[in-house]
Amino acid sequence: MADTTQSGAAPLTECSVPGGMNVHAASLERIADLARHELAPRAADIDAGHYPRELLAQFGAEGAFGFHLGSGNSDFASAITAMTSVSRACGASGFLTWCHDVYGLYLDHSENRGLAERRLPDHVAARSFGGTALSNPMKALAGIEPMILRAKPAQGGYVVSGTLPWISHIREGQYCAAIAKVEGGRDDHEIFFHLPIDERVGLTKCPKFSGMEGTSTWGIALKDFFVPEEDMIADPARPFIARVRARFILLQMGMGLGVVRGSIDDMEGVEDQLGHVNQFLDDRPDAMLAEYDDLFARTMTLAGREDTTSPTFFMDVLDLRAEVSELSLRAAQSALLHQGARGYLMASAPQRRVREAHFVAIVTPAIKHLRWQMAKLSTEIQPAEAAA
Amino acid sequence: MSTDELAEPTDGLGPWREYLCRACGLIYNEGEGDPDGGLAPGTRFDDIPDDWVCPICGVSKGDFEPYERPSAPAVAASQTGISKADVGIVIIGAGLAGWATARALRELDPERPITIVTACPGHVYNKPEISRALSRKASPDALQRATGPDEAARLGIRLVAHTHVVGLSAQFRRLRTTRGTIPFTHVVLALGAHATMPAGLNPHHSWRINSLDAWRAFHTNLGTAPRRIAIVGGGMIGCELAEDFARAGHAVQLIGLGMVPLDTLVPVEAGERLLAGLRRADVDYFGGQTVTSSAREADGTVSLTLADGRALVADRVVAATGLAIDTRFLKNAGVDVSPVGISVDASDLSTNIAGIYGLGDCVAIDGAPCRFIEPIPKQAEIIARDIVGLDHGGYRHRAPIIRLKSVETPLTIEGPPHAKGEWRVIAQSPETLEMERWDGERCVARLTA
Repeated sequence: MADTTQSGAAPLTECSVPGGMNVHAASLERIADLARHELAPRAADIDAGHYPRELLAQFGAEGAFGFHLGSGNSDFASAITAMTSVSRACGASGFLTWCHDVYGLYLDHSENRGLAERRLPDHVAARSFGGTALSNPMKALAGIEPMILRAKPAQGGYVVSGTLPWISHIREGQYCAAIAKVEGGRDDHEIFFHLPIDERVGLTKCPKFSGMEGTSTWGIALKDFFVPEEDMIADPARPFIARVRARFILLQMGMGLGVVRGSIDDMEGVEDQLGHVNQFLDDRPDAMLAEYDDLFARTMTLAGREDTTSPTFFMDVLDLRAEVSELSLRAAQSALLHQGARGYLMASAPQRRVREAHFVAIVTPAIKHLRWQMAKLSTEIQPAEAAA
Repeated sequence: MSTDELAEPTDGLGPWREYLCRACGLIYNEGEGDPDGGLAPGTRFDDIPDDWVCPICGVSKGDFEPYERPSAPAVAASQTGISKADVGIVIIGAGLAGWATARALRELDPERPITIVTACPGHVYNKPEISRALSRKASPDALQRATGPDEAARLGIRLVAHTHVVGLSAQFRRLRTTRGTIPFTHVVLALGAHATMPAGLNPHHSWRINSLDAWRAFHTNLGTAPRRIAIVGGGMIGCELAEDFARAGHAVQLIGLGMVPLDTLVPVEAGERLLAGLRRADVDYFGGQTVTSSAREADGTVSLTLADGRALVADRVVAATGLAIDTRFLKNAGVDVSPVGISVDASDLSTNIAGIYGLGDCVAIDGAPCRFIEPIPKQAEIIARDIVGLDHGGYRHRAPIIRLKSVETPLTIEGPPHAKGEWRVIAQSPETLEMERWDGERCVARLTA
C-alpha cells in the first residue's frame, strides 16, 4: 500500500524558520512534493531492497543535501525539514538522506580544502553518493566499545586494516568517511578519512534485515588499505569530531520526525472510516500532532543555535534525539492500531513504519547510548581513587 | 546507628528515647549519649546539663524535641511497586527537601502515586552532620539514617535512583530522565545545588563534599593516616570542614578570598575572632587568595599555586567555593530561573508553571537563595498542602538563624547575613562578641561569636 494518505497533508516548510520567511522555502516545498508524489509510492519497494539512487539524485537536484553546508548558509533547520519530508514518505530514504548529509558535513568542515573541492560539488548535487562509517567510532569515542579499524603510518599517509559490519549508502564506485585508531602512537590518536569503495575494499553482503533493505548496507573489509594524505578529512580526528558530533546527531532528528509525521498521516487516513472506534485508542492523531509540532519547533530552535560545541547544546541534542526515538515508537505503534487489520498487512505503511521507528531507536546513537551518554555527562567528576 | 546494639536501660524509666535537634536535625539517642560532649552512654535527656550543646550546630538542650522514629510502613508493601503508568507527583531530588516533601505528601494522601527521581542513591541522611563527622568519628554509614529503598518502601513511594533528569515538558506533563520518560501531574523541584569549581582547580584533583555519596568517597579515599588537606573557600562550609579536619588530626590549609574567613557574611571583628579560633585548632589560613593553578604530582600529591605566587602542597584538596544550580533543563522547560535559583512564589512556592513547585537549596525566594535546612520542613508542608488542595495560609519566609558549626568559635547570625552595613559592637570580651547591624532606626541582624 502506498502512502497516499499524505497527499492532503500540510507542507512542512511553514515552520522551518521560526519567526521569519525561509529563503529555502521554495526548495523545501518542491522537496516535499517530490517526496509525496515520487518517493511515497516507491516506499514499499525501497523497504524491500530497492536502493533509490535515482530518487536521491532528484532530491539532490532540488538542493536537499546542501542546506546545512557553508554554501547553504549552514541552514540546519532546512536540512532537517527536508529530511523530515523524505522520511515522512519513506524512512529508509530518510536514513539515506542523513548518511548523505553527514558526509557533506564532514567535508564542509575539513581543513583539507583540496578534498572538499574535489568531492563536495558532486556529492551535494547527488551526482555521486556516499555515507558514513562512524557508528563504531562514535561509540568508541564515547567509551562504549573499542575502535575497530587500525591505522599504521606509511609513506605519504597511513595503511588501514579491519572489518566494519554494517555500512550504509555505499557500493562499488561510491565512498564513505571512516575513522581508524593509529597504532603505536598516543592513545587518543585517530585519523578521519575519505574511503573510496574500490576494488581494494572487500564488500560482504549483510544478513537480511527486517526492513529498510534499500539502504545498500554492506560489511567492508580493509587489509593494508592505503589512505593518502590528500584523502585525510582530519588528523587527529578527535578535535574534529568534537566540533561536528552534536550536529551529526541533530541532523538525525529529520529521520525520526518524518517517521512520526508519516505515522500521523496513517492515522488520519483512516479517521473517516474508523474514527468511531479509533476514538477509544491512546495516542490519537491530534494528540500526536501536538507532540510532533512541539518537538519539530524545538528542533528548529536548536538547529538555529550557534553554541554548537558547548556542553549544553550537546545535552539538548541528546535529549531531543532520545525523545524523537520514543515518540517514533509510540506514533508508529499507534498508527498500526489505528489502521487495525489493514495495518497488519505486510505491505501496509504502518507495518513498515513500525520497523522504521525501531530503526530510529536503535541506530547509533540508540536510546540506550543516548541515556548512557547523558548520565555520564551529568555525573559530577570527583578525583579518581588517588594514590594513598 | 542502630539502637539494637545498645545496652538495655536498667533505670526503670522505659526504653531509650531519642530527641531531634530542631536546628540541624541531629538525633540525640539516650542510649548512645554524647561521649565527646561529656555525656556517657545511657544519659537520659532530662539529666543532660543545661550547658550542654548540640555536637553539630551548638544550640542548647532547649532546642531539642522528642523524636519518634517511624516504624510501621505508612502504606502496605503491595502498593510500593508503582508502575510507570501510574501518573502522580514526581519529586526531583532525594536530599532533605525531597524526602521532606515525600513524607509531607504521604501524610496528607496515603494513596496518591509519588515518585522520587534522584541522581544519588537516595539514602536518607542529614547533611549538616557531614561538617562535623570526621572529628566525631562518625562513619558515612553512621550518618545514613535509612537506605533509599527502605524509606521508599516505608512511605509507599517509588524511588528511581541513580537517574538524571534531562528534560521536562510542561505542556505534555512528561519528565525525561536517563531511565526513560515519566508522566506526572505535579513536579516538585528539590534539586539542591552543586558545588562550583573555580577556574584554577581541576575536578580530577579537587573534591567537593556536598552529599553523603561524595563524603563516602572522600572518607574512603582519605584513609586513616593524618594528611595535609587544602580547603579552598573561606565560607561557612570551608570553615566548618577546616576545623573539623584539623580536630581529627589532619594538617589543614584554608585558602580564602577574604583577609579573614566569612568576610562576605560577617563584619571583620567577627571574622578576626573566627580566624583566631581556626588558628587555635591549628588551621593555616591563607587570606586574600585564589588558586591560580593546580597539578597532580607523580607522588600523588597536588600542588597549588596561589595568586601571590606561593606554592602549597597537599595530599587532598577540597573545594568549598560556593553552590550553583543546573538550569539547562529548567530553562528549556520555560521555568523562570534567576542566576541564584529557581524563582518561586513567596506565598506558595510555585514556579511560573502551574503544577511545578520548588524548595530548598535550588530556589530563590524574592530573588535570594536560602541554602539552610531550617525552612525546608515548612516549605515541604506548604507544597504538599497546595498540591492536595488543602488550606495552608501561605508560606512566610523568614531568614533562619545561621549557626557556624564550630567548637572553637561558635557563631550565630539572626537576620540576613551581610558583612556590609552598619555593624555595632554591643558587647565584647575575650570570650564573646555581640554585634548588631542597623539600618537607620532598625536593628536588622544580630550576631554572637
